[in-house]
Amino acid sequence: MLEYALRRVLAFIPTIFITLTLIFFITRLVPGSPIWALIGHQSVDAAQIDAITKELGLDRPLITQYLEWLPRVLTGDFGNSIFYGRPVAQIVADRFPVTLYLTTIAMIVTIAIGMPLGIVAAIRRGGVTDYASNTFSSLGMAMPSFWLGFLLIIGFSVLLNWLPSSGYRSPDFGIWQWLSRLILPVIAQSLAQIGLVVRMTRASMIEVLGQEYITMARAKGLSESRVVLKHALKNAMIQIVTVIGLTFALGLGGSVIIENVFALPGLGQLITIAAVRRDYPMLEGGIFYLTLVALVVNLAVDLTYAFFNPRIRYTG
Amino acid sequence: MSSDPASTRSGDLLPPHVSARRIRVNGMFVTGCLILAPLVLMALSASYLAFLDPLSINAPEKLLPPSWAHPFGTDHFGRDVLARTVHGAQISLRVGFGSTLLTALFGILLGTVSGWYRWADAIIGRVSDSLMIFPGFVLAIMILAAIGPSELNVVISVTVLYAPRVIRTVRASIIEFRDAEFVQAARTVGVGDFRLLFLHILPNAVGPVMVQLSFGFAWAVLVEAGLSFLGLGTPPPTPSWGSMISDARDFIRSAWWLITIPGCMITLAVLGLNLIGDGLRDMFDPRLQNRGNL
Repeated sequence: MLEYALRRVLAFIPTIFITLTLIFFITRLVPGSPIWALIGHQSVDAAQIDAITKELGLDRPLITQYLEWLPRVLTGDFGNSIFYGRPVAQIVADRFPVTLYLTTIAMIVTIAIGMPLGIVAAIRRGGVTDYASNTFSSLGMAMPSFWLGFLLIIGFSVLLNWLPSSGYRSPDFGIWQWLSRLILPVIAQSLAQIGLVVRMTRASMIEVLGQEYITMARAKGLSESRVVLKHALKNAMIQIVTVIGLTFALGLGGSVIIENVFALPGLGQLITIAAVRRDYPMLEGGIFYLTLVALVVNLAVDLTYAFFNPRIRYTG
Repeated sequence: MSSDPASTRSGDLLPPHVSARRIRVNGMFVTGCLILAPLVLMALSASYLAFLDPLSINAPEKLLPPSWAHPFGTDHFGRDVLARTVHGAQISLRVGFGSTLLTALFGILLGTVSGWYRWADAIIGRVSDSLMIFPGFVLAIMILAAIGPSELNVVISVTVLYAPRVIRTVRASIIEFRDAEFVQAARTVGVGDFRLLFLHILPNAVGPVMVQLSFGFAWAVLVEAGLSFLGLGTPPPTPSWGSMISDARDFIRSAWWLITIPGCMITLAVLGLNLIGDGLRDMFDPRLQNRGNL
């Protein structure tokens, strides 16, 4: 297990390298565009554009720029945000907790609702619960999360006036101040995720419950709850864990939109604003750190996977 | 598929996937088509219905609730929401269809090359796997920030996002059959690489790829809506469903029709496409029944 873990962690290094390389080249697909971000709508003459180009080093070949950029970025230095004028790493650090709270709480809610629902749907296959959870998950996956967010605001903030419609307070203001502003975003974020987890849990449980060792366990006279929870679920977990990891990565992407709907000052909102303003250093840094979280979760999933599936540890 | 002339001609040289296998249309597929049909009709007829002008501004008639003159009401510029919704269907489905077509083209082409030629796999396989590292939506934002917001660019970014998945599927089924007996047999009779690939090996990937593409279509509709909502997709005043929701956010207290209608449309489109995907999957491979769309 230790050897496997070590190997997986080592494989992390080239992945980081590839991620950074892609970020560099994709954001520079259109040459010279960062200049327009700096100039904005001011009228400038050609000489000024030349001066800015020189100053930013954009007149040099892309590969030279890349070789200079990469070592700098590897130390966590993405430069200064064009718009905020502060180091990117600092701004990201300020915004990070919000995104992390949102995605983590949404993921906990997703697992807490999605897995039991999927298990029940699998056991009572074709029953009312199965039918209801299927309808629920199909609808959840079809509704755009940002639209759902607005519906929640209309329902719980405008009509009922139970919860604040937007904004953020750090936990320092008290737990309710903090949590009340996260409840609606978390619901909007998790509905589609729950749909996915329900479906996958149901499918893998049905598959496992049809195996011979389950019939064997039942024949031994084990109680149904023991058969389902101990023998079936542990094996179904191998697939479920993978889906949970993928769902988390999807959720990180989705949080970008949710943060915009609820005016949450997180990493996603930062990335969108940077994209609209073409603040490239900010965009690169923001995307890198968000992707890094997805990668770390992915790694954690791989390790959990090995825990549930002993065969991986030796052959992997 | 059972009437495919290729399979009746050389039936026994083909794997069971392609030869006479009856494919039953299932309920989910039909339901999905029924949900999608009116939206497709809307999209196709939008340009011919002259009285539905999505752009004509009429200030005195702004923010009117639904009535006989304006069944879906009017927005803050007095534009007819029905006209905008119908034209929105056109944009949404055009972006979805365009990116599905491009995804199919690049996915199948690059997937085939990388599955067939080991040297190509080193490059294509690696790049497409690396693209899948990014949380999908973030990759789209990054590409659009670089190439600028426009309908075509949304199509391009969705393709970059989704093609790696198709590449993977095609590649896997090529590798699976690369050394199969029926391929060796065909080769012995002197069938060339090209013919072998397109007539004998690729047809095996048709099922999984079609399933993936229909989920991809649904995804493209969602991504287009999301990007337009953020102001990175189809630029205004084009009536994309996503940007209609974004415009409506300032009026959620006063004009409920502005936000509910485009949202329902997106939900219906995605629901219909997902059901078609579910149906196709069960039709092509009953073993995979009830699997998620990952």
